[in-house]
Amino acid sequence: MRGFGSTLGLYEEGRGFLYRTPLCVKAAVSVGCAVAVVAWRSPPTTSAVLVMALGALLTGARLSPLRILRMLLPAAPVLGILGLYQGMTQGWLRAFVVVGGVAACLLVARAVTLTTPTQALLDGIVRLVTPLRAVGADPERFALALSIMLRSIPYLAGLFVDVREAAKARGLERNPRVAVTPLVVGAVAYAHRTGEALAARGLGDHDDRGEKSDAKSAGDIGDDPSLDHEDTGTS
Amino acid sequence: MQPAEQTVAGSTDTGRSPARKRWDTTDLSLVAVFAALIAALAILPGIPVGPLGVPITLQTLGVLLAGVVLGPTRGAAAVLLYLAAGLIGLPVFSGFNGGFGVLAGPSAGYLVAFPLAALVAGLLAVVVLRRTRRFRVGLLFLACLAASLLTIHPLGIAGLMVNAGLPLRDAIIVDAAYLPGDVVKDLLAAAVAVSVHRAFPRLLGARARGAQ
Repeated sequence: MRGFGSTLGLYEEGRGFLYRTPLCVKAAVSVGCAVAVVAWRSPPTTSAVLVMALGALLTGARLSPLRILRMLLPAAPVLGILGLYQGMTQGWLRAFVVVGGVAACLLVARAVTLTTPTQALLDGIVRLVTPLRAVGADPERFALALSIMLRSIPYLAGLFVDVREAAKARGLERNPRVAVTPLVVGAVAYAHRTGEALAARGLGDHDDRGEKSDAKSAGDIGDDPSLDHEDTGTS
Repeated sequence: MQPAEQTVAGSTDTGRSPARKRWDTTDLSLVAVFAALIAALAILPGIPVGPLGVPITLQTLGVLLAGVVLGPTRGAAAVLLYLAAGLIGLPVFSGFNGGFGVLAGPSAGYLVAFPLAALVAGLLAVVVLRRTRRFRVGLLFLACLAASLLTIHPLGIAGLMVNAGLPLRDAIIVDAAYLPGDVVKDLLAAAVAVSVHRAFPRLLGARARGAQ
């Protein structure tokens, strides 16, 4: 399952002004769009956000229109049903407002992750959480957890496919218990190995806060190849 | 996402309670890996179930598993981490969605309910694992069922009413369509959790022996 990470829709290299826009601006616009769409459910708001989302992806990330449509494909069934329902009960204008708004928000969010390197995204999150330190949050640990999560997804997805193929070979693919139990047991084992690897490197413990402090962003661990287990396939 | 910090206890494993002790690196990575597990289950195609092979999506299964396998605090933290990753734009929600836009979508109520579901399922699971040795699958099933009926469905219905503009009656009908699948997932989560606790008795169950 190497390369599954690339289908996660994270960062892709490219050119366009979105790549040069600071993350804080992109994130603020993304949140602003969601708030605007929910707060003012009106045709002008939805049209404006939709046009902005499409414009940003077309010119800012230089994606083809086809590519943009493909991004919406996974969400299409839900959006379709929602649109049909709204159209039949409350009119097609209302359907456009609701469905268009949701689609625009999804596209704007995707534009952010597509044009921001994952490392920059993690560093941005650390900065965002830093003020919460006063109430007991720990931004480095949060970013560490987030980066462990990101690198675990390809491993678990690969494990899931392997386990299902094994179940299929035994003619048990219709028995979800056979497919899920080894996955969860494998996940717990993987977490224990990762926890030991972290402890061995003195990462994520609390006593080290003084020595390590901010010298090294915890997010860096996401790119540390020495932490890779046999076949995690981070790409 | 951290539990209470007042006591920085040593890393002794006996008789500890996750709410009072700081997490060690294994707790941290369990939380992170279970957040990844929820994401993997949510974005992968569902498993066909039964003779008709109707696929069930496994997002809620991951949420309940986080609760009954890791317990209330770590379970809820795993779900919160998953939601945080999704909200900042990583496409980890069902159907490769992500970003603050989902809070405007019809399923926002379900997402908001997930950490609460893990919390409730985890609390009930701790009680089950500490008090009983027998009928664990059945009791854990009831714990999962209670968690999903108390949190996921009411908040899901509320989300449908607010975001999709459905009247209460219609929202309940739409939500009811998920009920049979949920019962299957509750059963599955319980069966899997019993196996996992048998394989890793120290996750939650070891304390049962120590407490009695």
